[in-house]
Amino acid sequence: MLERNLHKPTRKSMMKSDPALFSAMVAVWISFAIFIFLPILRLFMTTFVVEGTFSFVNMSEVMGKSYHIKALYGSLILATAVSISGTILGYLFALAVTRTSLPKVFKILLGGVTILPLISPPFTSSISLTLALGPNGMLLKAFGIGDFSIYGFLGTWISETLTYFPVAFMVITAILNTMSANLDDAALSLGASRWRMFRTITIPLSIPGIGNSILLLFGASLADFATPLILGGHSFPVLPTEAYLMITGMFDLRGGASLSFLLLVPALFVFLIQRLLMGKKSFVSVTGKNGARTEFAKLPTELSVVIGIICTIVVAFILYLYAIILWGSFVEVWSVNNSFTLRHYGYVFKHGKKAITDTLLIAFLSTVIGSVLAVVIGYIVQRKKFIGKRFFEFSSLLNYALPGTVVGIAYIIAFNERPILLTGTLSILVAAYVFRYYATGIRSVIASLEQIDPALEEASLSLGASSTRTFTHITIPLIIPAVLAGMRYLFIHCMTAISATIFLVSVRWTLLTTRILESMTELQFSQASAFSIVLILIVFIADAIMFYLLKLSTAKYHKPQEITNEKIGA
Amino acid sequence: MNKLTKALSLLLLVAICASPVFAGGAQEQIGSGGTLNVYSIMPEKYATIIFEEFTKDTGIKVNFVRLSSGEALARIIAEKGNPQVDALWGGPADTYEAGILEDVFAQYVPAQAEEIPARFRSPDGYWTGIGVIPLTFMSNTKFLEEKGMQPPTSWNDLLDPAYRNSLQMADARTSGTATERIYSLVQALGEDEAFEYQKQLHKNIQLYTKGGAGGAMPVATGQAAAGIFYIVDALDIQQQGYDLQISYPKEGVTYGVEAAGVIKGAKNRVAAEELMDWASSARLGEVMVENRINYIPTRPDVEVTNPALDMSKVNLLEAAASWKGENRSRFVERWIEEVIQQ
Repeated sequence: MLERNLHKPTRKSMMKSDPALFSAMVAVWISFAIFIFLPILRLFMTTFVVEGTFSFVNMSEVMGKSYHIKALYGSLILATAVSISGTILGYLFALAVTRTSLPKVFKILLGGVTILPLISPPFTSSISLTLALGPNGMLLKAFGIGDFSIYGFLGTWISETLTYFPVAFMVITAILNTMSANLDDAALSLGASRWRMFRTITIPLSIPGIGNSILLLFGASLADFATPLILGGHSFPVLPTEAYLMITGMFDLRGGASLSFLLLVPALFVFLIQRLLMGKKSFVSVTGKNGARTEFAKLPTELSVVIGIICTIVVAFILYLYAIILWGSFVEVWSVNNSFTLRHYGYVFKHGKKAITDTLLIAFLSTVIGSVLAVVIGYIVQRKKFIGKRFFEFSSLLNYALPGTVVGIAYIIAFNERPILLTGTLSILVAAYVFRYYATGIRSVIASLEQIDPALEEASLSLGASSTRTFTHITIPLIIPAVLAGMRYLFIHCMTAISATIFLVSVRWTLLTTRILESMTELQFSQASAFSIVLILIVFIADAIMFYLLKLSTAKYHKPQEITNEKIGA
Repeated sequence: MNKLTKALSLLLLVAICASPVFAGGAQEQIGSGGTLNVYSIMPEKYATIIFEEFTKDTGIKVNFVRLSSGEALARIIAEKGNPQVDALWGGPADTYEAGILEDVFAQYVPAQAEEIPARFRSPDGYWTGIGVIPLTFMSNTKFLEEKGMQPPTSWNDLLDPAYRNSLQMADARTSGTATERIYSLVQALGEDEAFEYQKQLHKNIQLYTKGGAGGAMPVATGQAAAGIFYIVDALDIQQQGYDLQISYPKEGVTYGVEAAGVIKGAKNRVAAEELMDWASSARLGEVMVENRINYIPTRPDVEVTNPALDMSKVNLLEAAASWKGENRSRFVERWIEEVIQQ
C-alpha cells in the first residue's frame, strides 16, 4: 500500500503494480480467445484452407464476379449514407431534448418514439415501410404519387436511417448531458451569441459522441442484412445480404465466408479513421474543478424551431409506420376483413409462450454479462497504456463489425465439437449476443471516459484508495449514464437482433424474432404484427423495470457523484 | 481487505467469462427415446398440426425449429460432426439431393414406401416424398378487372407490358420456388430459350423476394399484380379471404416434391424411423386434407377434396430430382449472370 502511495502512478508502471488490472486483462483475453478468435479462425480456415493447404481459390472465385464488386460498393455507399444521415438526425433529436425549451411532453414523446424503431426487428419496419411507400403504397396513393420505387438504395437508406438513428440519439444525448454547463455560462457571460456558443462549444464538445455514433452506425449498416434483403431489390446488392444469400440459398459456406472477409476491410478502415480523428484531441470537460452546476444554455430560437419541425415530421412518420403494425395485429385479415379481433394475441400467448420466456432469459443474461465486460474493456482501453492496445480494442469489436450471419455460421463451426461443445445450448446464444452487442457499451464508456479528467482518479489513488476501489467508487459512478445507455442498447438488441442468432436457435431455445420472421414468411402479417407488438411492449416494460432497479442500486453512488461535480471545485 | 476485493473481482470476472462454457456442458444431456428433434422446412403452422397428430398416434414428442431450405441444409452440414436433429422435415427433394452429396442423410426405406410412386422417392432411400406441389400463376383479381385482362394462361402472357413493374416472384439464390420456376421454363421452352424468356420477363419484375411465398401477400394486397408460386402458398393466401385468381400456363409447369429424411448419426434414430413410417402411411395425407394443408399427398389412395388440387386438366411436366440437383447451381449462376445483371 505504502509503495503505491509514494509512487506517482505513471501509466506504464500501472500494469506491473496492479494485479487486479493484470488479472482482468488475462480474463478478458481468454474470453476473446474463445468467443472471438476461435470462431473467426475456424471460419478463416474454412475460407482459405482447401484440402489441407492454404489457397486463394475460394476468394478469387467470389472476387471474380462483377456482382460481388458491385455489392462491395453498395455496402460502402449505404453505410456511409446511413452513418451520416442517422447521426445528423440523432444529433438533432439529442439537441431537441437537451438544449431547447420545447415543452417537456414533447421531449418525452421524442424519447419514447425514437425507441420504437430500435426495439422492433428491422424487417418489421421494412414491411410497414413497404406498405406505406411501396408500389401502390398507402402514402403514395394519398399523395397521388405514381411512379416511385422504394426498392433499391433509397428504400434501404430510409429504412436503415430510421432504424439506427436512435442509436446516435442515445449516444449523443449521453454526451450532451455529461458536458459542463459552466462552459455555456462562461461563453454567454463573455458576450458570445447563442449561435457562437453552439458553434464553438456545443459542437466541438460533442465530437466524441458524433464520431462514436458514426462508427456505430457505419458498423450497424455494414452488418445489416435484413433490411437490404427486403428493400434492396436486385439492383442494389450489398455484401452481408449477398453473403447471407450465398450461405442460405446456394449452400455455399465457403463462398459466403469469403465474401464476408471483404467486409473486414471497410470495418478496419473505419476503425483507423476513428482513431486518427479522435486520438489526439482532449475533450475533457468534467474535470472535478467545476463551479456550481447550472442549466445548459438554450439554442438560438430559430434553430430550436427548425429542429422542432424536423423532429415532429420524423416522429409523425414513425408513429404512422407503427400504427400500421398495431392496426394489423387487431384485424381479422389484413386489408380484406378489417373487423376487430384478439385472436392473433391468443395465438401468441398459446404458441409463443416458450419463445417469450426464452428470449427474456437470454436477453437478461446477455445484458448483465455484456455490461460488466463493456465497462472493464472500455476502462482498460481508455485509461491504460499497454502493448497491443489497439489490437485489443479492435478484437473486442470484431464480432460487431462482422455481419451477423457470418458470426452465426462461425459459431456453429467452432462450437460444434469438443472441447467446447455449445451448439443447441443457451450459452451459445448468450455468447453470440454478448460479444456482438456489448460494442455500444464499450464505445459509450470510452466516449464518456474521454470527458472525465484522469486527475479525479489520480486524486483518489494518491489519497490511498486502491485501484479497484477507485474504479468502483470514482470511475463507475461518473460513467453510469454511459453504461446505462450501453446496457439499454444491449438489452434491446438481445431482444430484437436476428442475423447471427437465426443460425443458433435450436429445438430447445427459440427466440421471438425468429418467430416473427417465421410469421412474415408464412404470410401471417397479423400474427407477425401481434408478435411484434408483444415484443415491443415487453421491451418497454423490461426497460422501465431495469431502469428503476438500476436507479435504486446506484442511489448510493449518485450522491458522491453530485459531490464530485458540485462541491469539489466550489 | 484490498486483497480480498481484488481476489473477488478477479474470481467474478473469470466466472463470468467461463460461465457459458460450463453452462454448455451442463445442458448437453438431452432425453432420448420418447422425443424427436427435427428441422422443419415446412412452414411452422403446418408442421405444428402434423406433428401434433404424429404425437397422438405414436406418443413420440417432437421438438422442431422451422428454417428455410438453405438455412436448414447449411446447418445440417455445419453440425455434421455432432448432429443436433434426427430428421429433416419438408423442403424440396433437390435440397435432399444436395445434402446427399455432403453425406448428411442416412438411408431408410419406410415401411409403406412401396405405396408411394417411385418418382416421389429417392432411389437409394435417402428421402421419401410427403407431398407434391405444382407451380401456379396467381394474380390479383382487382388488377385484372381494372386493366380488362384475363388471368394469364401462358408463360408469354406475363410478358404483357401491362404487368410492367408489377410482378413479384422469388429470388433463385434463396428460394426453391424460384429454381422450380427455372426448371419449369427449361422443361417447357428449352434451356437457352428459358433464359432469353426470363430476360424479357425481368422488365416486368418489381421485386425478387427471398422466400417463395414472399410475393404472395403483395399480390394479395394489390401491391403487385401477379406472381408465380407453389400451389400450397397460393391456396393458403386465397383461403385467408383475398380475391385472387389461380391459373396454369398451357406450356406446362413442373412440380416440387416435398420430402423428409433421416439425418446420418441421428441420436434418436428409432424415433426418426418411426416418423418416416408414419409419413409413408395414408394417415399423413388424411391429416393434410382434413386441415386444409394444400400439398397433394404422395399416396395416390388418399382422396383430395379441394378442387384446386385436381391436376387432371393441368399440363404437368416431369423433371427428376436428380436432374434438378445436378443443374441447380448452374441454373442459378446463369440466372445471376444473365437475368438480374442486365
